[in-house]
Amino acid sequence: MNTLEMMPTERHATNGNSVIQLPYGLLGFERVQNYILLTRPEEEPFLWFQMVGETKHAFLVVPPHFVVADYAPDLSELDVAFLQLDDPSDAFILNIVTIRGHGEVTVNLKGPIVINRRTLIGKQIIPVNASEYAIRHPLPLS
Amino acid sequence: MLILSRKPGESIVIDGRITVKIMRLEGDMVKLGIEAPIQVPVHRQEVYDEIQKNNQEALTPTVAKLPRLTAKASPTPPRAVRNPLPHAHQR
Repeated sequence: MNTLEMMPTERHATNGNSVIQLPYGLLGFERVQNYILLTRPEEEPFLWFQMVGETKHAFLVVPPHFVVADYAPDLSELDVAFLQLDDPSDAFILNIVTIRGHGEVTVNLKGPIVINRRTLIGKQIIPVNASEYAIRHPLPLS
Repeated sequence: MLILSRKPGESIVIDGRITVKIMRLEGDMVKLGIEAPIQVPVHRQEVYDEIQKNNQEALTPTVAKLPRLTAKASPTPPRAVRNPLPHAHQR
């Protein structure tokens, strides 16, 4: 497996340091509501979803179309209303990646983070069709 | 916690719009039938639990070596990745 070692200081925030707010946090991290999204061209398509003020750890995330071609999480009407998604194109979707060791890397397709591009409000969603998706979907690695 | 005794075939109603019916008993298994409006998500507790566990496992040191994703044909142009939140308002 080819790997790249990156220093966090070399990454830059997307969208001019704008904070993404998750009013409900991530499941298990409900108290943490403010995140920034960090990127570095060499690390694409991966991005870092980082708690504001926490630099040592972050969530590695990936837009799902790099993993599965036909990903279509079905959002409940409550979630659509909460996120104020007037149009499907308002939704920016990220899926959390887990590096498990022994070369195993998985992506969570069952609980995507959905962010409204206009408001920068997000939520970790359990789609109505969550049962169609794996929580440990293996990533195809080179 | 409110604890109610129900027999198979009996129901409870929540908020006047969600009905939970005891369908039948199969050994130590209780089959529930849930009728709720489409906008009310209903999930097994385990789904929440496994996502929570997965999130806790996923927190990654920011100096971690990243894997290389196999180049894969993508139906969506990667523009969204280079500029992930192009329409976002500055806050």
